Amino acid sequence: MRTSLFRTGLIGLTGIIPGILFAVIIFLALYSWPAIRFNGAGFLIRQMWSLGNLYANPVTIGATEVPIGAHYGILVFIVGTLATSALALLIAVPVSIGVAIFLAEGAPPRLRPLLSLIVDLLAVVPSVVYGLWGIAVLAPLVAHVIAPALGAVLGFIPFFAGGSPTGFGLLSSSLVLTLMVVPIITTTIYSALQQVLAPDKEAAYALGAMKLEMAVGVMLPAVRGSIIGAAILGLGRALGETMAVLMVSGGAINYLPTTITSPISTMASFIVSQLDSAEQDPTGMAVRSLAEIALVLFVITIVVNGIARMITRGLHVSLAGRG
Amino acid sequence: MQKEAREMLLRRTVLLGAAGGAAASALALVSRTALAANITLLETGSTLLYPLFNLWVPKYTAKNPGVRITTTSSGSGTGIAQAISGVAQIGASDAYMSDPQMKRNPDILNIPLAISAQTVNYNVPGLNKTNLKFSGPVLAGIYSGKITRWDDPAIAKLNPGVSLPTRVITPVHRTDGSGDTFIFSQYLAFSTPAWAKSVGYGTTISWPPVHGGIGAIGNPGMVEASGHTPFSIAYIGVSFHAQVAEAGLGTALLENRAGNFVLPTPKTVGAAAAAIEAKTPPDERISLIFAPGADSYPIINYEYAIVSTKQANPHVAAVLRDFLSWAVGPEGGNAPEFLDAVRFLPLPAKIAALSKQQIAKIR
Repeated sequence: MRTSLFRTGLIGLTGIIPGILFAVIIFLALYSWPAIRFNGAGFLIRQMWSLGNLYANPVTIGATEVPIGAHYGILVFIVGTLATSALALLIAVPVSIGVAIFLAEGAPPRLRPLLSLIVDLLAVVPSVVYGLWGIAVLAPLVAHVIAPALGAVLGFIPFFAGGSPTGFGLLSSSLVLTLMVVPIITTTIYSALQQVLAPDKEAAYALGAMKLEMAVGVMLPAVRGSIIGAAILGLGRALGETMAVLMVSGGAINYLPTTITSPISTMASFIVSQLDSAEQDPTGMAVRSLAEIALVLFVITIVVNGIARMITRGLHVSLAGRG
Repeated sequence: MQKEAREMLLRRTVLLGAAGGAAASALALVSRTALAANITLLETGSTLLYPLFNLWVPKYTAKNPGVRITTTSSGSGTGIAQAISGVAQIGASDAYMSDPQMKRNPDILNIPLAISAQTVNYNVPGLNKTNLKFSGPVLAGIYSGKITRWDDPAIAKLNPGVSLPTRVITPVHRTDGSGDTFIFSQYLAFSTPAWAKSVGYGTTISWPPVHGGIGAIGNPGMVEASGHTPFSIAYIGVSFHAQVAEAGLGTALLENRAGNFVLPTPKTVGAAAAAIEAKTPPDERISLIFAPGADSYPIINYEYAIVSTKQANPHVAAVLRDFLSWAVGPEGGNAPEFLDAVRFLPLPAKIAALSKQQIAKIR
């Protein structure tokens, strides 16, 4: 009797998480349905976004009432989201692997708890703090130091040329995201590295391996799956990050980035920046279109996660096959 | 900051004293306005009005114990939306509501509380102490990417004798929904037919693609971005005058409808307000942008309280009427002790009277 009550309780609690997830998806889909019908598939590939003239009488297009000139296209924001997240991971993953190896093997054992605590603390800094730091420190640094240096070294590639008069844009957003995801990725890899069996490590040393050779040759291959898993965790955070990116992205609208320092907008930050005005749309189409962006972001996150899981599974299979 | 804290402490002590010792005088205060005790009002919306509400509320609630007013700064659009939904009793907005919005929400009032203005500021090293001249069409050219350099003939023509640098202009605009974007884009739309046709005006507009142009959040973000970025230009609410001065930005002389170039002073803002005063309809939804008159400053606006005529109960309505009447009165919230700090101007007598007529409709 008591056991069954316990069981039922647990099942109920377990059901809450997927229940909420489905409720959110269903709500988003239902709420944005008029926008999905109005915008069509072109929503994903159009570059221009306009709420239309909210101070004129709405017009009826098809059977839908929308403000004059309303036109919703989110290619710019999809590109901004994927570009910032990809660039952030490109920098964050190697850095995190390095930090994790240092924590696990390089650092003096007495300092390890302190160092890993500091890394953990980075993960709990509120994103608006990163954003303020981005405005006050990072953006000027990118404008006056990093972008000119990149231009001088890699300027022959158009993507790196041109410099950045303001510092607000793709590079600053990615660097802020990098800082935000490094602790997550580092902590995950560090815990995996601690699980590597001592005999494996000792075997490498017995063969005459240096510390670095052991770490790269034995430890990293052993935690390959965890590294990918950690990167996915970081990617999830990067794709959805809102406030910090909004503050340093430059809020580009209606054009795609051409260089690494171009202003951009991400989907999450764009929703926040537009919501206030969208609420003034008497037809409600603006808010529904923002909900559609949220739905697309959700789908992108799920797809990216799915792909990553397939990669991880493939790795496990190949490792098992080899073993 | 410290002074504020000290004042708050003082106020608390005074209140405690009133509650503990001089109960009789406290009772007298309550009965003065005959307001029901323990009414809480929620004010939300415009970030430009927020500092003013924070000056108003402590003074008002000190005189009216039992009334609590919570102020939050969330953006004009949210202010309007929450006043309509009834979440907030007062929605603060730099922009008046549109005709289609009014048609859907006929019970909502747009009540001017004060007059605000906006400056166009720039960061051109060496020229920030000079007041450069700009016209609506030239600003529209800059913000639509047709004028890209500081020494463009169109800018040079307005500023003869000034040696302008051959540098790329970085136009800065607001990313968040903003009453400042509303009045700035209205200035461009009313002065430049091409802008009116292709972009129009609103609290968020679909900015033409200007490569290198950037967005910033809130007036503080505009000051920060422009201050850090040489050769940028930005539009900033006049209540941020002190921050603009600290960042060392230049302030533009703007061309008005009569073709004269003016700075926002009590005289020029007052002239523009006077020009529209007679035209203001009973519902007070009117733009003050690009007003006629030789001295009129072209970018000024009424700061609105968006309020529903239908309140939850008569007590809330009574408190709301009392507070708003106090706010628009020259002896109350429109006194210089409040408005000077944020560089707003008081409502002209006729407009204050119209506001009071609207306030009387709150039930």
